[in-house]
Amino acid sequence: MALEKHRNILDYTLQALLRRKFKNIGIILVFTFVIFMLSSILFLSYSLRQEAHLILQDSPEIVVQKMRAGRHELIPINLEKDIRKIPGVSSTEPRYWGYYYDSGAKANYTILGIGTAILKNNRLLNGRMPLPHEKNVAAIGRGIADVRIIKKDIGSTLYLQAADGRWMNFNIIGIFESDSEIITSDLIIISEDDFKILNNMPEGMATDLIVHVSNETEIPTVAKKVKEQFPDSRPILRDEIIRTYDAVFGWRSGLIITLFTGALIAFIILAWDKATGLSAEEKQEIGILKAIGWETSDVLEMKFWEGLVISLTSFISGLILAYVHIFFLGASLFAPALKGWSVIYPDFKLTPFIDFYQIATLTAITIVPYIASTIIPSWKASITDPDTVMRG
Amino acid sequence: MIRTENVTKYFNRGNPDEVIAINDVSIEIKKGDFTVLKGPSGSGKTTLLSLIGCMSRPTSGKVIVENRDVSRLPERFMTEVRRNTFGFIFQQFHLIKGITVSDNVMLPLYPTGIKPSKLRKRAEEILINLGMGSRKDFPVQKLSGGEQQRTAIARALINNPDIILADEPTAHLDTHLSEEFLSIMRNLQQEGKTIVVATHDPLVYEKDCVNLIVEMRDGMVKDIIKKN
Repeated sequence: MALEKHRNILDYTLQALLRRKFKNIGIILVFTFVIFMLSSILFLSYSLRQEAHLILQDSPEIVVQKMRAGRHELIPINLEKDIRKIPGVSSTEPRYWGYYYDSGAKANYTILGIGTAILKNNRLLNGRMPLPHEKNVAAIGRGIADVRIIKKDIGSTLYLQAADGRWMNFNIIGIFESDSEIITSDLIIISEDDFKILNNMPEGMATDLIVHVSNETEIPTVAKKVKEQFPDSRPILRDEIIRTYDAVFGWRSGLIITLFTGALIAFIILAWDKATGLSAEEKQEIGILKAIGWETSDVLEMKFWEGLVISLTSFISGLILAYVHIFFLGASLFAPALKGWSVIYPDFKLTPFIDFYQIATLTAITIVPYIASTIIPSWKASITDPDTVMRG
Repeated sequence: MIRTENVTKYFNRGNPDEVIAINDVSIEIKKGDFTVLKGPSGSGKTTLLSLIGCMSRPTSGKVIVENRDVSRLPERFMTEVRRNTFGFIFQQFHLIKGITVSDNVMLPLYPTGIKPSKLRKRAEEILINLGMGSRKDFPVQKLSGGEQQRTAIARALINNPDIILADEPTAHLDTHLSEEFLSIMRNLQQEGKTIVVATHDPLVYEKDCVNLIVEMRDGMVKDIIKKN
């Protein structure tokens, strides 16, 4: 009996919504757009952060760079043995990395010459990593495969021009999975020996040094000691990089949301105006329903369903559109603002990561106020005497 | 059946535009009566009808319906009395546009939780009795004035009320349709229902079936005429 009552009222609500379809479609379109924009920003920034976390969790605890005049330069490998003597340090190794500008694709690639330690970190790779001294083989990111390799698959050949002008060819033996695309999309991994040839690196020098610390709590202390012992060095902690990613994506998404605030306020005004400004027809309808035997709670239930149907339809539509926009269309609307220059080229596809807490927050700040703004004016109309209806 | 005791109703009380719509009105309507509240515009007949029908509360005095003082009932109980006791026929019909005739007729009982199939069957029976069976799936805005009124009557009857209240029911009808309306009301009276009509149309209050005329002027009862 009680269930039938709610069903009857819901049926009538749907009829009522169809009767005012132009007004309601207008609200749904604007509401959907707002949810689409907000969800897109949240999906994108959260996915970028998650991708960064996923990759960086396997990165070394400390990276030591040499600085001169405030700029990073090559570091002598023999510093390793002094750093290893610092209590808490379990191992060190040189790292070789740099950038390669591909004028054909107008893209910057990141090139890494690998040592043995990196061999362990291959869970995101389809295929395998180059061995430390293996010649003319490479593992590459999906973005480079898309831009440079015709077959886009293992077994293809990648051509790179060395610092002395000659061309080097690399057989592709591994391609990174999409889960790591934020970092690996523009990444080329070759052997340490090939890296030195490609970049004409002087012997005994590396790009930076990796420092492994067994006890997590000792990382800041070790970094402090490295800095004290080698004042021209810069120790970079893994946690600092993760925090930087969080801050950068958080700041960028905040910036977009700020820019979008104008549109959001316009929506709130529109929604409020549409929802609260009961037309004479709507007021009369409430009066008629009251006069023929509907209770105030029945009228409010009808308005609740009305608000819920409109806001939920808009919310789900906006959410689906945002999902498609971010994870299928590459966030084409505002990816440049959120991703930053270093990963624009080559383009990459994000792996879907959704923070349900954010979705719940979005629900609370959009659906709940909308339903409230629908119910409150109707409540005011429904507690007045239906007598006025008698007077036309 | 219905009794008002010294009922007074103010609008905008305490404001410069204060109006006394009903002033010290006491009447009694018996079960099965066909009562007409007669008077010119502004005489207070619509206000008295809405007080009887629990659509507003008196400023002072009592409204007693079926031995129950309804003038001070909480809103929820007022609605209950309104839904279970009265059927309303409004001057402008007040049908909900955009939905069908049968949906309009079923509307008063939606919140009661009766199954839609049962409700629809009941609505169709009433519509057939009123000669509206073929129009049940029509949107109400496409109906003629007479058909709209019969839809309004069907809606008033869906809850099988004891008392039918009608406000200026013939104001928008020609003579033929007015006669049709009165014929329906007479049949309902013969079924034992109490009819209260607010009107200044002589076609209504001169009918034989009318057995009580309450003549009103300036919010007061000027005369009460009982007919047999």
